[in-house]
Amino acid sequence: MSKEAPLSIAEREFILEALRQDSRLDGRTPDQFRPLKISFGDEYGHVNLELGNTSIIVRISAEVTKPRDERPFDGLFNINLELSAMGSPAWENGRPNDVESYVTHVLDSVIRHSNALDTESLCILKGVSCWSIRADVHVVAYDGNLTDAACIAVMTGLQHFRRPDAVVRDGQVVVYGVEERVPVALNITHKPLSVTFFAFNESKNIIVDATLKEEQASEGELVIGINNGGEMCFMNKFSGATINAREIVTRTSVALEKVKDLNAQIDRAMQADLALRAKRGMAEESRAENDR
Amino acid sequence: MSEEAKLSHTLVVSDLSAKQRMWGPRSTKNRESFFHDAAGPYASPSSLRTTSKTDTRSPSRQSNSGQRKPTTWLSFPLEFSFSTTMVGPTASLSNLSRADGSASFKCPTTGYKILGSVNAPVELPGRRDALKPEEATVEVFIKPGNTTAGVGERYAEGIIRTMLQKLILGRERGFPRRGVVITLAIVGGGAIARGDSYLTLLPSLLHTSLLALLSGAVPMSMTYSAALMAVSKSNVIVSNPTLVEAKAASSLHVLAFSSKGHLLLNESQGRFDFDTWKTVQQRAHALCRGVELPEVDGDIAMEAQGDSGTAEGFVRETVEDHLCRDYAWKINTE
Repeated sequence: MSKEAPLSIAEREFILEALRQDSRLDGRTPDQFRPLKISFGDEYGHVNLELGNTSIIVRISAEVTKPRDERPFDGLFNINLELSAMGSPAWENGRPNDVESYVTHVLDSVIRHSNALDTESLCILKGVSCWSIRADVHVVAYDGNLTDAACIAVMTGLQHFRRPDAVVRDGQVVVYGVEERVPVALNITHKPLSVTFFAFNESKNIIVDATLKEEQASEGELVIGINNGGEMCFMNKFSGATINAREIVTRTSVALEKVKDLNAQIDRAMQADLALRAKRGMAEESRAENDR
Repeated sequence: MSEEAKLSHTLVVSDLSAKQRMWGPRSTKNRESFFHDAAGPYASPSSLRTTSKTDTRSPSRQSNSGQRKPTTWLSFPLEFSFSTTMVGPTASLSNLSRADGSASFKCPTTGYKILGSVNAPVELPGRRDALKPEEATVEVFIKPGNTTAGVGERYAEGIIRTMLQKLILGRERGFPRRGVVITLAIVGGGAIARGDSYLTLLPSLLHTSLLALLSGAVPMSMTYSAALMAVSKSNVIVSNPTLVEAKAASSLHVLAFSSKGHLLLNESQGRFDFDTWKTVQQRAHALCRGVELPEVDGDIAMEAQGDSGTAEGFVRETVEDHLCRDYAWKINTE
């Protein structure tokens, strides 16, 4: 298996010493995220996200399927993340690696298991048909903090996505095309995001949103999944050096603050895009000429 | 390996006779005979030349001029249809930070947007047995936008890999025993449904991989351009068909031509006869390279190329633009 080029001893020492003096390579404070850029593609649920140099594309899609036998009221929701050589030369195409399973696990826990998307609202006809929502995460460039970036991108995609309207008429499921009926937004119950903390120098320095180099120099990490209301839905300390319990409590409040800020940024990007779409849609409708 | 021998290797033609395969002209005599062969007595090289001269630079006007000068085409068994409003494809180079080379390409008619990356030469550990000791191993990976990769992707990967393997100079210094890894992600446009043809996506994939290879400065023997053609049920040839047109078509063709005018790839689906194919091939050649004839010795006449109406001109212009931007510091100071 390929590996990322490891840090040289000098680089590692530099990063650690800089952190001891409370500064980071790119001049951020310990609790500062890199600039977040969110843009949307032509179709609903297509999100291009850039967090510093980490770049992710998320596409949400929906199709009608049969629900699982043991859960006839529930629709399906899957997050699909497959790392390819595009994101980093260390990832091989078609071969799952550790990063992939780790990020998938965090995304599943934070978004899917916390029921951020209400799967019961995806049911069309009990035991017969339901919506299957699929989120595809394409990591286009990797420069650290994949989990948080992917989390933000998937949540943005879910909020942005519109599925075709479907109704049941005389026991028959009718799915209306996007032209026939206004597509409907998904039912989002809450907006959890993950915030990953990295620990350095015997956990004396703890930072958010580490770049790849900082990740490589770190001793341990702590992932907190939390929503706007301060409800924690995921907390994990996978490996590495110990972190003081009191630190964890303070980091939780930092995470809450970050999540509120990120959600506000997502909202702003979404509103701007939807306003633009509404304008364009109106222009389309009010046009006198038609294409022949 | 001589140029000619290499050429015969580069051709990926499934069901054509050797004569049609080697249509790349070597002498003036051959050139004449090819045009009689392919276009019948109606299209002599001179008449084609005149059309090319009247052609203006935009593709739509080029196709209009094809309609305006029907004398050349009138007696053909097939008629042509042209889309009246034709927006050219858009592309950009080197837009990813981690890959060695990258490109994004958007096809306006099919709506597909492809993001491609190239890592070359790269170590492929754990695959010692599969690596070739004397040349680079080309790997192509297609990542569909909102489904898991399946048979269709494997099929297209195979086509692109076989073609690129012949074009990439894998024996250059540093390349043997290493890999050229091409990753193509479909980031825009609809998913290809089960049973739908994958050929509609193929030209976009080919163009993206070429641009990504160029952006990654991977040594290649020649560049290429590709075109998608459809023949509808009423025997009308549609160049650059939309997805709806492609679905309704009786046959679909993807042809790729090298920068030297050779036919590199021919993938066809559906029912068609040989005359139809020949006309399709000619149309595709005009789309890719303009109707300009290849020079006798296979050399590229630089002035005649770079026509923005053609697919090849588009590739050239994209790379030129990118170079201009990259070397702005140098150009501006001179």
